[in-house]
Amino acid sequence: MAVLRHSAAFPFLLLLVLLICIPALASGVWLNDGGGGLEEEGEQFSEELFLKPLPDRKVLAHFHFQSTAPPSAANGRHHHLFPKAIAQLVRKFRIKDLELSFTQGRWNYESWGGSDPISSTNAKPPGVELWALFDLPVMEIDATWKDLTHALSGLFCASINFLESSTSYFAPSWAFRSNVSNLRYGALPREAVCTENLTPWLKLLPCRDKAGLASLLDRPSIYKGYYHSQRLQLTSTKSTGMVLKQTLTVVLKPDVQRNSAHSSLDNSIQPSWSVSSMFKKNVTGLCVPAKTSRIFFELETNMVVELEKLGYGDSWSNSIFDLSPNPVRVFKESNPLPGRSNSIIYEYINYSEHEPLDLGMKWKLPFIWSCSQSPFHASRFLMGSGNERGSIAISLQSTESNKEFLAKSHGCTVQVLIFQVVPWYVKVYYHTLQVFIDGKPQSASDVIEKIQVSPSEDKLFPGTLELMLRYPCSVQSVALTLDFDKGFLHIDEYPPDANQGFDIPSALVTFPNFHSSRSYVEDNLSINSPLLLKFQEKNVVRSYTEALLVPLTTPDFSMPYNVITFTCTVLALYFGSLLNVLRRRVGEEERLLNSKDTTRIRLIPLLLSKFSSKLKGRTDGTPKSSSLLGSKFLFILVVVLAVLWHYIAN
Amino acid sequence: MRPLDPAPSPAAASRTVILRRFCHRRALLLSPQLPFQTRNRDRSRVWTGMASRDPVMTHWSRMLLLFLVLVPLTSSSPSSWATMHNNNWAVLVCTSRFWFNYRHMANTLSLYRTVKRLGIPDERIILMLADDMACNARNNYPAQVFNNENHQLNLYGDNVEVDYRGYEVTVENFLRVLTGRHDPAVPRSKRLLSDEGSHILLYMTGHGGDEFLKFQDSEELQSHDLADAVRQMKEKSRFKELLIMVDTCQAATLFSQLQSPGVLAIGSSMKGENSYSHHLDSDIGVSVVDRFTFYTLAFFEKLNMYSNASLRSLFNSYNPTLLMSTAYYRMDLYQRPLNEVPVTSFFGSVMKTVHTDAAYTGMAVPSEMKGSLFIEDGEHHRIMLENEPNQENLGNEEAKEVHCPYHAWLKTLQGRLDDTDADILLRYGFGMMILLLVTSSWLSS
Repeated sequence: MAVLRHSAAFPFLLLLVLLICIPALASGVWLNDGGGGLEEEGEQFSEELFLKPLPDRKVLAHFHFQSTAPPSAANGRHHHLFPKAIAQLVRKFRIKDLELSFTQGRWNYESWGGSDPISSTNAKPPGVELWALFDLPVMEIDATWKDLTHALSGLFCASINFLESSTSYFAPSWAFRSNVSNLRYGALPREAVCTENLTPWLKLLPCRDKAGLASLLDRPSIYKGYYHSQRLQLTSTKSTGMVLKQTLTVVLKPDVQRNSAHSSLDNSIQPSWSVSSMFKKNVTGLCVPAKTSRIFFELETNMVVELEKLGYGDSWSNSIFDLSPNPVRVFKESNPLPGRSNSIIYEYINYSEHEPLDLGMKWKLPFIWSCSQSPFHASRFLMGSGNERGSIAISLQSTESNKEFLAKSHGCTVQVLIFQVVPWYVKVYYHTLQVFIDGKPQSASDVIEKIQVSPSEDKLFPGTLELMLRYPCSVQSVALTLDFDKGFLHIDEYPPDANQGFDIPSALVTFPNFHSSRSYVEDNLSINSPLLLKFQEKNVVRSYTEALLVPLTTPDFSMPYNVITFTCTVLALYFGSLLNVLRRRVGEEERLLNSKDTTRIRLIPLLLSKFSSKLKGRTDGTPKSSSLLGSKFLFILVVVLAVLWHYIAN
Repeated sequence: MRPLDPAPSPAAASRTVILRRFCHRRALLLSPQLPFQTRNRDRSRVWTGMASRDPVMTHWSRMLLLFLVLVPLTSSSPSSWATMHNNNWAVLVCTSRFWFNYRHMANTLSLYRTVKRLGIPDERIILMLADDMACNARNNYPAQVFNNENHQLNLYGDNVEVDYRGYEVTVENFLRVLTGRHDPAVPRSKRLLSDEGSHILLYMTGHGGDEFLKFQDSEELQSHDLADAVRQMKEKSRFKELLIMVDTCQAATLFSQLQSPGVLAIGSSMKGENSYSHHLDSDIGVSVVDRFTFYTLAFFEKLNMYSNASLRSLFNSYNPTLLMSTAYYRMDLYQRPLNEVPVTSFFGSVMKTVHTDAAYTGMAVPSEMKGSLFIEDGEHHRIMLENEPNQENLGNEEAKEVHCPYHAWLKTLQGRLDDTDADILLRYGFGMMILLLVTSSWLSS
C-alpha cells in the first residue's frame, strides 16, 4: 500500500480495495455476532496465559491451551485442529476421562497458594501421574490400561509403560473420585521430566511452538524454574465431543535488575519483570487457528486487600507498581463475602502480528502480602530408623484460612479425604493406624467416618488406603501414623541405583467442604475464555503431600559372585589334585603316547580306503563276525517293513 | 493315507513374521489392495514353480531336494543381496547412568545430532539414554547438554525425542529392539522397523571391558549376545548392512564373536587399551566428551548431506596419538571396498521414491523393472549407483535362493507336504532310505 499511495491512481485503488474489503468485513461482523452459529459447530482452539505475582518474589505463569472437537461423525477420522494422535487414543481405548501430568519440583502450598483454582487443580505430585476413566466393561479395563500406558509412553517419550504392571496402578473406589469402578490410577514419582516430554506435548498444538503464546516456551528458562508441571486433560462425551486441555504451570524467579538509585531498597522491593525478560523470548506472531489468544494478569485477594488498606483500590498503575500496557478488560471476583475486596483479573489480547504483547510489571515500593491458604496444610513424613521397620505419618495443620472459616460458624465439622498408594515392598500394617488430635491420641473410630483398605500382595498389588476423617473445625492439628516393615526384593528387581532409595507416591488430601470456584462480576455470557470458565467450575480443594523416599536394604551385588568364585576355586584345587594323585600313572601315559602315533587314522581316509577296496572287489581282511550277520538281518528287516508299510498305506 | 498335519515349522513361523513386518511398512505407502500371491512369492515358490513344468525334471528335483535336506548344511550362505539399499536407521545407545558419566550421554547426543543433520528422520532413530542429564539437578544449564567447553552447541535442542530412557535402558530392551521381538503393545516409535534394504548404524557408548559392555552398572552385554542378536537380525533380514560403532574401553573385543555378513565394526580401542575422555568442562564439573567420539564429530562437522567422503577417509582420520588408543575396524565380514562407500550411506539417509505405474506389485521388484529404474533416476543417484555394483543385475530369484539355502529347502519341503502329492514324496523318501541303507551296509561289509 505504501508504494501504491504515491501513484496517481490512488483514489481509484482505494475505492477498489474498499469494495473488496466490504464483503469480508461484513462476513466477519456476522460471524462475531452469530457467536454460536458457524464457529461453534467446528473444532476450536484457544490459547491463554495466566500470570500472577507470588509473595516470595516469584511469578506464576500458567499456559492453558484448549482444543475441542464436536462429536459429529461428519468429518469421520479427519480433524482440522484437534490433534489426530489424541483422537485416535480416545477412539481406540474408549477413554471418557484422562489426565496425565509431568511435574518436576514441589508446589509450595504455603507461599504459592493452596485454595485457589490453580493450586487445587494444577498442583501435581512430582514425576508422572496418570489416571483414566474408561467407557468399557470392567473385564477389559486392565488390558486396555496396559495398552494405553504403552501408547502414551511412545507419544510422550517417557517410561509411562512402567505403569502397566499390576504392582504400580490401582483402582480407587471413592477417595479419588466418587464411586467409579472403571477408573485406574498410577504414579511414577521418580520419572524425569525434560525437553523430550515437552516437545511432543507442543506438537499437539496447531501452531506448535512457532507462533502464538506457545512461542514463549524457551526450554532453558522453563526448566530453570522452581516448579513446572505439564498436564494433559482429556474429556470425551457423546454430547460435547472431545475436549483437550493442555496446561503448563511454571513458577519462575525473575532476574533482579540492579538499580543503583534504589540500592538500599533493592532487597525488599519485588523484582520487576516482563514476559520477555522471564522467558527470554517474545510472543512471535499470532497463532491464526486460535479463536482467542489472551493474557490474564491476576491480583489475588490478599494483595487487593493490602492495596486497599494503602488506599490504591484496583488501579493497575499506582505508586507501588505499574503494569505496562493498559488492560482491555477488568474482571472482579464477586463471590464470597459482600463488602470485602476480592481478586481482580486484567485481560490483555494478543492481536497484533507485528507488535509483540509484552506484559510487564514494575515494582516501585516494597509490598508484602500473603497468599490464600488451604484450610489445613497437609504433609507426610517418615519416622523410625534402620533398615527393618519404620512408620509413615500424615499431619494436617490448621492454617489462617481455617480460622476465618471457624469464625463464621460454630459447631462445624471438617471433612478430609485421604488417598494413599504404597508399593508392596513397604508392608504397611493397617491395624497400627493411630490418630492424634492436637497431639493427644484419640480412638480411631471417633474421627474416622469411613475407611477402605486393600492390603498389598507381594509382587502383585500395591497397598492402598482410602480414609474419610471428620473432626471439629476447632482442631489445630491432626496426625495419623501407620507402621510398616520393609520388604526384600529379588536380586533382579533392584533398580540400578537401588542405593538411592525407593519412592512412595504422594498421598492426595481432599477437603470436600471447601471449593475453589470463582465467579466474576461480569455476566457469564460475556466470559468466553475457557480458562476463566474453568475457574468458575466448582472444584474441591485438593493438595498433594510430598513423595517419600524409603531406603531399603540393598544387597552387596558383587557378594554372590565373590562367594561363587572363591568356593569354585577351592573345590577345583581340591578335586583336581585328588584326582591327579589317584588316577595319574606316569609310565602308562608315556606308553600311550608312543602307541598313539601308529593308530591315528582319520574317518574320511578310512571311508575312502574302504570304498576303493570295495570297488576293487577285495576284502580288507577284517574278520567276519556275527555282528555283520546281525546288521544284514536288520537291513533286510527294515526294507521289508518299509515296503510293507508303503503297500498298506496305499 | 493318513493326512499329514501341516504343523507350523520354525521356518514357516519366521516367514509369517517377515510378512507381517512388511505389512506394517508397506501398508502406509501403497495401494489398499495388496495382491497377496505376488507378495508371497518367495524362493521356494519360484523354485517349485519352475520345477513342476516337466515331469522328469520334477522327479529329479525331488530326489535332489530330499538328498539336500538329509545332508546337513553347515556351510554359511554366500552373501549376495538383491535388494537395494533404500532406507537408513540409527540405534544410538548410552548405557551409563549417573552424573559423572555425562560424557557418554553427550557422545550419544552428538551422534544423534549428526545423523539428524545428515538426514535420518527422528522416527528412524532409536535413542536410548540411561539417565537424565539435561534436567539433572546437578546440571548448571537446565535442558542443555554440551559436548564442548565452549558451549557453542546445545545438543539437547528443542526437538529431541528419546525413545528409551532411564530404567528402560536394559540389555533385554536393547536386544528386543535389535531383534524386533516386542510385546504387541509397544508403540511403533520404540521399534526398529528396518527391512532387508536397510543400512543400520548402531552406536554404543558406556563402560566396557574384555568382551562386555556394562548397562547401567547392573547388567552386561556380552560379545556373544551382540553377535547372536546381529545374526538373528540377519536371518530375519532386518538389515542389508550394519555399522557398529562402539566407544568404550577395549571396544574391539566386543566384535570378536560377530559372524554375520554385511557387518562392519569400528571400536575405539584394542584389547587391553582404555578409551579416554577428551576434556573437562569446569563449569559443568565433569568431562564432556570422549576422544573417539570427539574426533569422529570433528570429521563429520566438515560434511553435509551431499558429501562424498568415504568410510575409508573416516577410518584414516583417527590418529592413535590423539585418540590415545588404537581404533579398530573389523572389515572381514564386509564385502564392499571401503573407499567406495560414502559415510552418508550409514550416517545419512537415502530417501528414494520408487515410481510405479501399476498398482502394488509385491516385495520382489522384477529385475528388468529395477534396471529401468536405475536408468531413470541415474542423476539423483549419485553415489549409490557406483557403490552397488553388479549385484543388482544378478537375477533376483537366483540370488534370493542361495541367500539362505537351509531355510529355503525347509520351506520347499513344507510347501510340498502341504500339497496333495505328499504320498509321492513319501515314496521317494523310502527310496532314498533304502538307497542309503544299501550303500552304508555295502560299505561296512
